[in-house]
Amino acid sequence: MNSKNDPTTNTEEREIITSCPHDCGGRCVLRVHVKEGIITRIETDNGEEPQLRACVRGRAYRQRIYAPDRLKFPLKRIGERGKGAFARITWDEALDTVAGELTRVKHTYGNEAIFYVPYSGNTGTFLHSQLAVYRLLTMFGGFTPVWGSASFWGNLFASNITYGTLTTGHTRNDLLNARLIIMWGWNPAESIQITNTSLYLARAKEAGIKIVSIDPRFTDSAAAFADEWIPIRPGTDTAMLIAMAYVIIAHNLQDQKFLDTYTTGFEQFKQYVTGEEDGMPKTPLWAEKITGVPAATIEALAHDYATGKPAALLTLGAPGRTAFGEQFHRAASTLAAITGNIGIHGGDPAGFGLQPVGLQPLASAGLLRGAAPGNLPEGTTAKKGVHITKVWDAILKGKAGGYPSDIKFVYTTNGNPVNQFPNTNKAVEALKKVEFVVVHEQFMTATARCADILLPVNTHLERNDMVRPWHSGPYYLYLPKIINSLHESKSDLEICSELATRLDISGYCEKTEDEYLREFWDAAKNFTHTAPLLDYDALKSKGVHKIALKEPAIAFKEQIEDPTGHPFPTPSGKIEIYSRRLAEMNNPKLPPIPRYIEPWEGPHDPLTAKYPLQFITTHFKRRIHSNLETIPWLRECEPQMLWINSLDARRRNIGHGDMVRIFNERGEVILPAKVTERIMPGVVSLDEGAWYAPDEKGRDRGGCCNVLIKDEHSPAGAFCGNSCVVEVERFTEEK
Amino acid sequence: MQIAFFFDQSRCVGCYACSIACKDWHDLKAGAVHWRRVTSREWGIYPKVFLTYLSLSCNHCEEPACIQACPADAIIKRAEDGIVVVNRDVCLGNKVCDMRCKKACPYHIPQFGDEENATMQMCTFCLERLSEGKKPVCVEACPMRALDAGSLEALKEKYGDIKKAEGFTYSKKTKPSIIVKPRYLK
Repeated sequence: MNSKNDPTTNTEEREIITSCPHDCGGRCVLRVHVKEGIITRIETDNGEEPQLRACVRGRAYRQRIYAPDRLKFPLKRIGERGKGAFARITWDEALDTVAGELTRVKHTYGNEAIFYVPYSGNTGTFLHSQLAVYRLLTMFGGFTPVWGSASFWGNLFASNITYGTLTTGHTRNDLLNARLIIMWGWNPAESIQITNTSLYLARAKEAGIKIVSIDPRFTDSAAAFADEWIPIRPGTDTAMLIAMAYVIIAHNLQDQKFLDTYTTGFEQFKQYVTGEEDGMPKTPLWAEKITGVPAATIEALAHDYATGKPAALLTLGAPGRTAFGEQFHRAASTLAAITGNIGIHGGDPAGFGLQPVGLQPLASAGLLRGAAPGNLPEGTTAKKGVHITKVWDAILKGKAGGYPSDIKFVYTTNGNPVNQFPNTNKAVEALKKVEFVVVHEQFMTATARCADILLPVNTHLERNDMVRPWHSGPYYLYLPKIINSLHESKSDLEICSELATRLDISGYCEKTEDEYLREFWDAAKNFTHTAPLLDYDALKSKGVHKIALKEPAIAFKEQIEDPTGHPFPTPSGKIEIYSRRLAEMNNPKLPPIPRYIEPWEGPHDPLTAKYPLQFITTHFKRRIHSNLETIPWLRECEPQMLWINSLDARRRNIGHGDMVRIFNERGEVILPAKVTERIMPGVVSLDEGAWYAPDEKGRDRGGCCNVLIKDEHSPAGAFCGNSCVVEVERFTEEK
Repeated sequence: MQIAFFFDQSRCVGCYACSIACKDWHDLKAGAVHWRRVTSREWGIYPKVFLTYLSLSCNHCEEPACIQACPADAIIKRAEDGIVVVNRDVCLGNKVCDMRCKKACPYHIPQFGDEENATMQMCTFCLERLSEGKKPVCVEACPMRALDAGSLEALKEKYGDIKKAEGFTYSKKTKPSIIVKPRYLK
């Protein structure tokens, strides 16, 4: 790049297109104004339609880049681990220490004692992400990885079982082809779930399409888009879906031709639903007792869904983030199949929802391809890994507790697991036990506070990269370096490169950013639904390239139009309502047909005698998980509060804005209450991602939901952040 | 010509993009001052609940009460486009005059920072963008396309002439230059 075009030095103000590569649910366009190497303003897409307009998180990003609390220098711990006292050191001292400890631990205990615990700080990027560390540690001889996801594992598992693929989605403009849209546990106004989803929902509503929201909360999405709000007890959604199937079967409203042609196992499912199998018909009345949803409401919605074709049942995330959450997704897909709402415009398979257009996830796995032989098959590392909910337990118990290794060294980048994985107090205890902790971070998070060596990482505006749209999608984005790395920060790749040199690893990083990106882009042609790809140089100069679609792209169009020529990618070639693979697992908690299984810490758990309120965790419009929590512009949007219904509040003498103590056996959180009619009685909710801030008694004052959540996962790996019970009381500060 | 805003309350999901885009564009720090503010209203009893948001900046009224109230003649209404602007060099400051403009405004729009004897500031309709033919930054920010701006006549033509939304009542006295589309009101 010549100096005239180099935004890091150019003296004239320029506008440069980029995006946010976060785990935010969207991929939007940021138009960054830069002058003399300083970002002066950030705008969004004003180009061709459909514009990809950024949300408030992107609009506030300038304050994140220039935040006074950004980590500026390498730091080493002074004093007790976890107390957050650090001293500035040089990069040389920091990297020598990390390399020395990696070598010592490897020689003393073996590679398995090195535990790499990353998360989703960079999502969908091609070059700068946790893959830099995966590559390093793989080439170093291996490590103990984690598996699972705090977001979608139940959905991922179920989609792979039922459809044999995660690519089950429609482009969002297809919502306008539906006659009925069911937003099940789904609040895209805050969680985004693909850029412009809310805009298409608004247009659908204006076009007269009926929209129903099923959710314990009256969300912003329910208020803006839904004609009807159906509150439901958390963790019981599967029971309602199964009762809807009962209604459809009882009235013979199923699409029998669809079932006969494209699915397998409907008869077994029918026997369960009708009670032929166990003497218990799964009627709306049966479900009413479990879910709290009136039987008549279930009956009516089942009729509407079965007779209102095409109808889009949209299920992502939340109801599946429960004990046995994979059953929710299995049941939802089954209902979509029973009504024949698959492979048709305006329908939706209620699967994982990747769109059949643009780049697939593996497009951005470049740094793993060609890495030294290691223990890292792409996709799942389950066999040798530790589930993310068990990270702390694995550290505390090691092999004696049935975990793959005794952990001595914890390496964390691109994530804040102390804050974002369940049972935060246990996390703090666990990290005291290991011999060494290294963290790459941008801010002083709860995880960063536990580091022995803390390394400052730059942001995506300070390096070159590319990024995939959220859940695929019809566009490509280039992320150019806009400013020089601030302070002494470096990219994960630069850090690992320098570690590789110290660890005598050759061939770790032999190319420039541009050479890597060009190579990865060329390889991406093998991972796209929409060939040919745009030329790399053209993408780089355009910043964003939108793929024009003649019509909305929908999954399984070929399978439906030509079932013989295009079987589903499952063992049977059909949509698997009954799964032989599950049957072979022979686990009653992972049945071959979808079933309602009573969740732990659900509404009917005996523990509710002591902790009578169900606790759920929700996405917050002003954060990306624990990212952006300290940004002043965002903090003033809305405060972190515990949502509690006025009935539950009155019984506890809690007024709006009063401080409350939320507690169970795992911990306590103290923060103000939002007394509201927007949440169903018996349920309280807290937006996830607020920063753990223990007081001198160990009570969290920041509002970190994971202080309260059980560190357990569902049999297939679903994260269970919405299976939790608590009690709440009014709190008065001790004198 | 009178410029005006359009706000579609039925579409607004309360995302705050407009308000923070305004702060970024005009380099306003977090805290007391909001040139564009998003507020919410919730009513009803579970499970029959209602929720609305309202995104409001200066409405650049046709007959601004703030101008009448200002003892220093610091506020003027531009003849060419009806934008109400304040000359902060002339404003006496909130300690000296006790915010008479804010008290006179039916929408309490005039903003004062938390500095000593703060002078008034508010939405400028992004004058500097207007001269380049661009709409105010809040309008171009809205992911829901719930905001628009233009001449009052053109907006009336495009969106009708609705004057009432939840949390907003048209002031017959000041004649705010805004058209709204409510979420629930018919």
